[in-house]
Amino acid sequence: MLEELAFVSVRGLGLGALFALLALSLNVIYQATHILNFAQGSMLVLGGLAGVMLSGHDYGTPIWFAGMLGTGLVMAAVMAVQGVITLWPLRHSTEQQSWLITTLAVSIIISAVLLLTQGPWSSEFIGEVPSFPVLDMRTPLPYLVLPLMAVFWFVALRLFLRRSLQGLALSALSQDLDAAAAAGLHVRRLQIAAFAISGLITGTAGYAAAPIISISAESGIRYVISGFVVAVVGGMGSMAGAIVAGPLVGILAMIATYRFGGQYQGFVSLIVLAGMLFLKPNGLFGFTAARRV
Amino acid sequence: MRAENLQAGAALALILATGLIPDLAGSDYWSYSFQFANLLIVAAVLQSVLMHDADQISFGQGAIFGVGAYVSALAMTKLGLPLPLAVICAAAGAGLAGLLYAIPALRVQGYYLGFVTLSLAAVFPELLFAMDAYTNGINGISTPAGAWKQPLLLGLSPLSLFTTALACAAIVGHVLLRRSVVGRKIRVAGASPESAQTLGIRPGLVRSAVFVVTSACTGAAGALYPPIVGFVSPAAFHLELSILLFLAVVVGGRGQILGPVAGIYLLYLLPNVLLVDLIDYRLLAYGLVALGVMLLMPDGLVGTVGQWLSKRRVAAVAHLSPDELPIPPAARRADIAGPEISIRGGTKTFGAVVALDQVDLDIERGAIIGLVGANGSGKTSLINAITGFNKLSGGSIAIRGRATDRMSPAGIARLGIGRTFQTPRIFDHLTAWENIQIGAEARLRPLAAIPEGPLARLRDRLAGSDVRTIPHGQRRSIEVLRAVLTGAEVLLLDEPAAGLSPEERQQLATLLLRLRDEAGKTILLVEHDLDLVWRIADRIVVMERGRIVAQGAPADVADDPAVRQLFAVPAHA
Repeated sequence: MLEELAFVSVRGLGLGALFALLALSLNVIYQATHILNFAQGSMLVLGGLAGVMLSGHDYGTPIWFAGMLGTGLVMAAVMAVQGVITLWPLRHSTEQQSWLITTLAVSIIISAVLLLTQGPWSSEFIGEVPSFPVLDMRTPLPYLVLPLMAVFWFVALRLFLRRSLQGLALSALSQDLDAAAAAGLHVRRLQIAAFAISGLITGTAGYAAAPIISISAESGIRYVISGFVVAVVGGMGSMAGAIVAGPLVGILAMIATYRFGGQYQGFVSLIVLAGMLFLKPNGLFGFTAARRV
Repeated sequence: MRAENLQAGAALALILATGLIPDLAGSDYWSYSFQFANLLIVAAVLQSVLMHDADQISFGQGAIFGVGAYVSALAMTKLGLPLPLAVICAAAGAGLAGLLYAIPALRVQGYYLGFVTLSLAAVFPELLFAMDAYTNGINGISTPAGAWKQPLLLGLSPLSLFTTALACAAIVGHVLLRRSVVGRKIRVAGASPESAQTLGIRPGLVRSAVFVVTSACTGAAGALYPPIVGFVSPAAFHLELSILLFLAVVVGGRGQILGPVAGIYLLYLLPNVLLVDLIDYRLLAYGLVALGVMLLMPDGLVGTVGQWLSKRRVAAVAHLSPDELPIPPAARRADIAGPEISIRGGTKTFGAVVALDQVDLDIERGAIIGLVGANGSGKTSLINAITGFNKLSGGSIAIRGRATDRMSPAGIARLGIGRTFQTPRIFDHLTAWENIQIGAEARLRPLAAIPEGPLARLRDRLAGSDVRTIPHGQRRSIEVLRAVLTGAEVLLLDEPAAGLSPEERQQLATLLLRLRDEAGKTILLVEHDLDLVWRIADRIVVMERGRIVAQGAPADVADDPAVRQLFAVPAHA
């Protein structure tokens, strides 16, 4: 009983931290653009793939850290490009929902390329994964690394958004896009920077989680759904909400996996999402927006 | 209208040709390909109704299609029902599954709904595995088509006739829906829930009903999948199918009648038939085509081509001035004592902001009340409170003595309270006349017959006009006339003169006076043009920081020192 509890909570916390990292990276873009990036899950899978490819290096060593930094930077560049593509039609089209289609299309393209190059199977992490004991159970190190990483990015984002000039400018975008533009901010440039920051977070998260997640063409969409569920439960755009809601959803998902089997993890996310939207659509930390008429 | 007819004609010709010629020529392969393509066209048309007409995002129509296919397969194999009965079962089952989308749609909109439907579609194959006692898990269910594939006459099989008829029905149904009262209500509810409420429509209910009905129809199409393919298995109803249907509409051109046909041909038929050796590249093709179309021609294939063709014809600019609006005669009704609207202690707070602070106001029947004050003084908040868009935090509102605190905006509209918005709610995909007509169709209150002459002249002139050609200021006239035609006895007008020329302002003043004198309407006029307000109002109410600071006859209010501080009152008043 105690072992079950420890198993579920430690692994749930790790999984939840991954969801929280996804929600953080979704929120960074959402705040700057009011766009939800459907390709975020695929980006995580790309980060994970980098982790698998560099898996010869031992998990947790300086070389591994260097690999993580490199992956983060590459993914930042990839997502900056995605940002340019996504924001392009908004420049001259009145169709403001074009982003739904462009981000979905990017997600499909990444999945298709993975399917063509990697095949339909999950890529396995081959290197040695260190583990730590929890009540006599060996738990892979990523379950510890991911919560630390979530806290690190949360604090780093908070400092960046509140203390630095660039960060404050990004925060201004989240308040009022038009006012920010009128105040002379380079809105488009800042928005692309938000995509890049989001890529940095997702890339490093995928890299660190590589040994414990499924890295395949079709897993991207499941990750973006999990990340979205956490973002909604926490309150869309709320970083603190994401950090709190991540472990909640992660532990629930782990209980479902432990009790009923992995195929029910999707149902649990769905029920949590539907329940939250029905009871409290603004999320735990969301603001009540006055209705505009 | 003409473009729509052309597109529908082209779509029907394509469907008939592709649905029937392969059978006549005796090509099994092409028969099968086009039977399947026609089923997908039906599902894509329904997706288009959802996406464009009802303005709802669903990434899960493939799962609904799959529910239809599975229910029909089970009905035929386990219950031994004939195909037509299986179709009915499938429609019922899919309609029920549509409730899973419809219930969230009551509360949430846009990409939230997109994610809910996306996650449902993602778990659907897993659900099929989990229920393997019925669904036979990964092996699926084998469903022989029997007599349905046997040639009936000239090589035509009943299945080909059935799928062709269904696809034609979807196209014709879509066109007819567009031109029906129900179709217009669906479009209004989707495009502007607020405006729908002022017309007495409950947008949440409409959205949910659309989800259930389109799901039932999608299920009926899915029911034909088992006899065409010969078996059902979870692999056929992956998220990929849902995304194909969604992208087909986008790529074909949103809102275009021919769009779903073009989209399915480009995304399904082309990769599956021409690139049959490169089947692995199909997913990549979906993504690249969707991205390319969105970047290069955001209006989709049909939309972009349509624009090229219509570019030569210069759209006629419609003109509509306030003095052309017909005035209904006063409705005869039993006189009720007391004011039309009475507000007591009305308070509304948003967090720490007090928008309305202890407002007491009576709006007497048959009067024009001018409501003035600086921006942010609470004028629009007051209108929102009366119409039920914002519930009061304290105090109460009664309409003809009836408390409305717990009524929905649609319910309040049915009491005969009409309103216009600061930014006029004009629907670009309805014609100028349809934008007005939706008011009359709402029939909130019995309306005495409007003099047919002026209304008919207006209809003839505006029936074919693209509403986008009407200048901004005149769009307000459309909204005013729409509100009048609902039969509303009280009109709450939010800055109706903004953007009008001086001449049009004069016409507006005349219109409002006639509405009061000839039609017996009660008007609450929120306006920054103080000249106009002082000229026509019977009584003036001045608001400042959520409070009513002065009210009374125009001359008295103008002399009030408190009011003189706030703004320069017109000298001639």
